[in-house]
Amino acid sequence: MARELVGYKIREARKTAGITQSALAKQVGISPSYLNLIEANRRPIAGKLLNALADELSIDLDSLTGKSEQRLIDDLITMASDPLLNSYALDRGSIEQLVGRSPLWARSALAIFRAYRDQSQAVTALSDRLNQDPFLNDAVHQMLTQITAIRSASEILDSVEDLEADQQKRFHTIISHESNRLSKVAQSLAEFFEKGDQRSVGATPIDEVDDFIIGRGNYFPKLEQSAHNFQQKLEGHGETVEAALMEFLHRRHRISVQYVMPESVDLSFFRNQCTFVEATRTFLILNNSSISTRRFQLARLAAEIEQADIIAEEIDDPNLTTDESRIRAQRAMASYSAGALLFPYERFLSDAENARYDIEILRQRYSASFEQICHRLTTLHAPDARGIPFALLRTNPAGHTTKRFPVAGLMLPQGGRGCPLWAIYTAFQTPGRVTRRLAEFPDGGRFLFIARTVTKQPATFREQQFLYAVMLATDTIHADKTVYADGLDLTTRAIADPVGTSCRLCVRTNCLQREEEAIIKSDG
Amino acid sequence: MPVRVLIVEDEPNIVESLSFILKREGCAITTELDGVSGLARLRVERPDVLILDVMLPKLDGFQVLKQIRSDANLAELPILMLTAKGQQKDRQTAEELGVSAFITKPFSNQEVVKLVMELAAPS
Repeated sequence: MARELVGYKIREARKTAGITQSALAKQVGISPSYLNLIEANRRPIAGKLLNALADELSIDLDSLTGKSEQRLIDDLITMASDPLLNSYALDRGSIEQLVGRSPLWARSALAIFRAYRDQSQAVTALSDRLNQDPFLNDAVHQMLTQITAIRSASEILDSVEDLEADQQKRFHTIISHESNRLSKVAQSLAEFFEKGDQRSVGATPIDEVDDFIIGRGNYFPKLEQSAHNFQQKLEGHGETVEAALMEFLHRRHRISVQYVMPESVDLSFFRNQCTFVEATRTFLILNNSSISTRRFQLARLAAEIEQADIIAEEIDDPNLTTDESRIRAQRAMASYSAGALLFPYERFLSDAENARYDIEILRQRYSASFEQICHRLTTLHAPDARGIPFALLRTNPAGHTTKRFPVAGLMLPQGGRGCPLWAIYTAFQTPGRVTRRLAEFPDGGRFLFIARTVTKQPATFREQQFLYAVMLATDTIHADKTVYADGLDLTTRAIADPVGTSCRLCVRTNCLQREEEAIIKSDG
Repeated sequence: MPVRVLIVEDEPNIVESLSFILKREGCAITTELDGVSGLARLRVERPDVLILDVMLPKLDGFQVLKQIRSDANLAELPILMLTAKGQQKDRQTAEELGVSAFITKPFSNQEVVKLVMELAAPS
């Protein structure tokens, strides 16, 4: 829908502003006839020309492209797939109408649904917790045992008339003793429920952080500027970035960096193959970690310390409602800052464009990992220097989504149950090789998928090697700017893989991979 | 002849109350506080009825039950199992392992006496 709206929106905005087609065309440097084709949605528009038109018409780019509307539509489609709404047979057309005519009501419906979903999850989680929590199981067992002892002794006192005095005293003592134990168990249960964070049982901190990043367009200009300033400070302080960071950490913050053997430490304390020991101000890194890991983690630590104030400002967001959300967001911002430091914006964008977004070239040039480069490519949204808009998805072999950043027009699966035809899942069949696929969605949207598995090597023999897959996706409008479209005829529909977002949301009834019935009906 | 009952239960106050009421019914009572001691006692002197708790230290009641039923000398021993859980799966497990009767805590004394006497009666 987003693309269909752009031309009409430009026309509407131009007319509202009282500007003729000729005048606007002249202002942005195109012919009136070309502008006419754009306004009639017979020519795609993106990049600098779109920016120029938005500027001339003084309208927000997101509202022009319908990005925020598209997100709302995508969210409502996901909502409509909930079993609660099965019987209403909501289709994309009716959802688009609702968003188009009553966006506030559409947002209200979504807010109510999310509240219902969170409460449902909370109830389910509480129920699971009651059934499986070892503390609760043990407490229930103790209570029943103590009540049994009390009941048995009470019945004896009540029913045996010829009980001797010392026997009576004995059973009274049992009742007293077991009542005391029962009281303590009851107290510990009360404390248990008081301490428990009821909201966190149903809360989704990962979703909150995802929404936070998506809401900001995965671009944080203050962090970019701060990283740029920090980079200036590092220059001249070491032959390599790694050396400069180590020198900086030691000189400014009295933090020493040590490389340790994995067999000599407790690996449970190591996250991403490193750990910071506050007591000794030592940053420990496993000596079998890769260069890309060492550089990134050093940059991350430096960013956490050096940019702490700016990071705190960024995550002071009402959409991050729990401590866990804020901690996760803080980590995400530190990672963002590390990326901004190691892959400086302007240079990285220039290199990416020159290399036609060849991830392997960029990876080697910056001594980075595949995932680090993919992530940085999704952050190139500076208004006056934009890269190709990429979506990012990361998943484990079980199909569980562990990182997601969408792009306009492309719905990404949440949690799991995505379309098995996506390149991110087929990449597991050829570990280590880049898989590129052209994909076409039922609504005609076409995207280039670029996926590869990534391996987390074990630190020791006892650990398991861990595989996951990372995928970038971009609209075919931009695909020809990348090496991954070389040899592909982007105009021929026949070579694209017919895919959906998930079986429940896909109307391709004849798909051989279909695992469950669709909830969303086709538009007919 | 008094009905000989072995009680294998780790809660002393429950053991005391059960022993009291069963003795009043004419039973001769022996007791053990854990699964291992219970099995050892069974191999030395066979009671008429075994009262067996599920949650026992050293060896839980299901393991004891399983070993009893695999011992030819004890395969027919009447066993009344006590449990605090009363969950369907525990009942099912006990039945699959060959328990004679099952009672959940908190039980009444009368219920225990009734079941013990039923189990002790010649079939």
